[in-house]
Amino acid sequence: MDWDETAIRRWLEPLATRRGEIAEVFAERLAELTLDWRDGAIREARVRAEEGVGARRRSDGAEHFVFVPGTAEADAREAVRALRAAAAAPPLPIRAPRAAPANADDAFPDAERWARRLTAVLARHAPRHSLTFRIRNAERRVVADGGRSAVSARRLLSLEGRFVAASKAGDEERVFAFHAPATDAASEELRTALARAAEPRERPVPVPSGETDVVLAGGSAAVFFHEALGHPLEADAGPSPLKNLPNARVAATALDVADDPRRLDLFGGYEFDDEGTAPRGARLVTSGLLGGPLSDRAHGASSGSSGHGRRAAASEPPSPRGSNIVVAEGGADADEMLRRLNNGLWIEDLSGGSVEIASGTFRLRFPRARRVRRGRFADELGGGVLAGEILPALGGIEPVFGREARPCRTFGWCARGGQVVPVGGAAPEVIVRRLSVRADA
Amino acid sequence: MTDARLTRELERRSPGQWELYRKTADSRETAAAPELRRDAWRREEGWAARWWIGGAPRFAAASSGERLAASFDDAERVSVEPSAPPEWPARQTPALEAEPVAPPPELFEELSRAVAASSRGEASLSSLSLRSGVARERIVNAAGLDVSQDRRVLDGVASAVGRRGARAREARLPFRWTGEPETDALARRLADAATLPLSDRPTPFPSGQWLLDPAVGAAVLAAIAPLFSAERPPRWVLRGQLASPDLSVADDASADCFFDGEGVPVRRTLLVEEGVLVGRLHDLASAHRAGARSTGHGARPSFRLPPRVGPARLFFETKTPATPAALLSAVTRGLFASALIAPPRVDLAADRYELEFTGVSVVGGKAGGPVAGARSAGRLSDLLKRVRGISTDTQFFPSPYPVGSPTLLVERASFE
Repeated sequence: MDWDETAIRRWLEPLATRRGEIAEVFAERLAELTLDWRDGAIREARVRAEEGVGARRRSDGAEHFVFVPGTAEADAREAVRALRAAAAAPPLPIRAPRAAPANADDAFPDAERWARRLTAVLARHAPRHSLTFRIRNAERRVVADGGRSAVSARRLLSLEGRFVAASKAGDEERVFAFHAPATDAASEELRTALARAAEPRERPVPVPSGETDVVLAGGSAAVFFHEALGHPLEADAGPSPLKNLPNARVAATALDVADDPRRLDLFGGYEFDDEGTAPRGARLVTSGLLGGPLSDRAHGASSGSSGHGRRAAASEPPSPRGSNIVVAEGGADADEMLRRLNNGLWIEDLSGGSVEIASGTFRLRFPRARRVRRGRFADELGGGVLAGEILPALGGIEPVFGREARPCRTFGWCARGGQVVPVGGAAPEVIVRRLSVRADA
Repeated sequence: MTDARLTRELERRSPGQWELYRKTADSRETAAAPELRRDAWRREEGWAARWWIGGAPRFAAASSGERLAASFDDAERVSVEPSAPPEWPARQTPALEAEPVAPPPELFEELSRAVAASSRGEASLSSLSLRSGVARERIVNAAGLDVSQDRRVLDGVASAVGRRGARAREARLPFRWTGEPETDALARRLADAATLPLSDRPTPFPSGQWLLDPAVGAAVLAAIAPLFSAERPPRWVLRGQLASPDLSVADDASADCFFDGEGVPVRRTLLVEEGVLVGRLHDLASAHRAGARSTGHGARPSFRLPPRVGPARLFFETKTPATPAALLSAVTRGLFASALIAPPRVDLAADRYELEFTGVSVVGGKAGGPVAGARSAGRLSDLLKRVRGISTDTQFFPSPYPVGSPTLLVERASFE
């Protein structure tokens, strides 16, 4: 992305002359390698290399957005030309485009190393499988009104799919998901996660339907807070039970939950958001009091953007979205959490979640659980669905938390309105009282 | 980089075993909400190549020919299990002239009024995003195929919020129109989905007849669609009668396009005839493995993915249709499922389904009170065999390929 930023700022100048107006150019170069593994062999290798420019102008409740493919300066110029035409601003003179250099970067120098490493790990822990491995490199650049500009890069890896594990009741198909920034440490973490997922288990019995208390362990409480707090506190969210409750007490004073993109060790982290704003950790609940919101430039009001303006791709305009849910740890060990729970479910993984914001109802799907009776682990349970309403669920959180906030690596992508962005989280064990539960179909 | 240079490079790497796909799309979108109006113009471009090295398949996709060529080496970097290339089709169609795209129609006010009227003021339209566009596809391959076609689209997403006292519910519905905008049907579905769940009333019956709105029927069909391209369908599918003798399933995209994502002409394919599984969808690869011919179902929902066998325009049909009113009057006691309130859960291998829906109770052929939420779960095979009535009001929904269903009447369903 060899751009003359001064020239681009000059092109944008007539598009944002008044307070509150936004004019920007966003560019993304994406390179993704996908390997489909089945039973020890790679069956398909796919490479994706995309680049594009999205230009936006927002003024007086009206927004114009233009997308063109390519990230050369000429592409940015074409996008701004179209914006200026829509805004009836003087057109940019037509200039012969400079030839963009072909991208001959070595995007995946470690592909063979990952392929060898994963082949060995899968052979040892899960030899029968159907899994998809993905490495994704994203480079992003923003030039906006007011001298705002940012360049950032992220490299993420995912492994997800199904494998067959030996259990005491015979072979059993299990789902697996792992999402992490692509670092050397991720390799060992992935191996550990897969080994743990493949451990033998008792034959599961169906989850009984009804009301239950749960411990959300293994970092999975991040998924719960992402649905119950994160989405309703996105600044463009519609009416919800959390609307118009700033600083209201919604949970026990011991609860602190933030959405923090600065945690680059988590899947949803970034140094700059997709509007070029350096993010700050947004406090969603502080000492039990409701905070927020998660905002972008258009919804930041007097406090400005919290750095949560995110795009699913260069072809989409930004909107306020959550990133990494981070829940403050407490001081309880696992035994104490079990004792506190007394009777209920211990859930290590949540395989999905959703929230209906207007009614304030959420659902969390889990692939398995352990029943807890009188503070001790009892039988293994199959998959099910937890459901509840946001305010009663927040009010049902016990003021005691596990002593280690664990990254939730099963949590990777969040879709809202068809727009998918990477998200993550870290949380200690959290007890939530009085959720409804039923077995999966 | 031009097509010719890319094809030369592919022929050099994989003589006689390659395919090059190019898509250019131009779309205009308006998104309206009470506090914001957004106009978007997108010019998109996508390139994709498949080729075989040492008998192993490779795939690359990019937003330009230059980036595609630069990705070839990356796609060859790791060892891949060999699998035989397909038998490539060879035909040619003339190149097409570019046509401009008109902006989508202004419908926010009209749909707002229709939602308010349909919900008796209980629901209001909160946003409407409408997109009109044209996508041009060109496919060439090593056997001499060179075909081009345009696909026009008018689709969108509408959201409405229903309110009753302090309670609220939002409904969001994607839609796709092939002809004139069908605002009244969309308004009714939005109003039902946003207001019926506010009633707080559970199902009054544990079992009974079950009337499925076309949107719900289409969701069921989309969920079972993998059965029609499975190389080894589950055993319950092969055990004689798959569905009710009144029910047939076909796929026919010939009204939308001329060829599939591999350049094979599309045609009508009958999959279930009077309840019996009679056909299967094939792309080039599955046809090669099965010793059959492609049915023109190499689906390419995005240039980013290689073509895979899948439906193009799938729908229920019958030889003995009834009017929606006749189906309603045939219900002595049961529920009308107006909209789903959660994605359908289907386990094809285990022959299980679970649908959560909102609707109204029906007694003696007349609509009763609203039902906020109900769940029906059981065997898919039973659900399909218990379809007793199929209506004339087929509607198509994006899934992402069009899926069509009329109103369906199912006997002996259980509800929670």
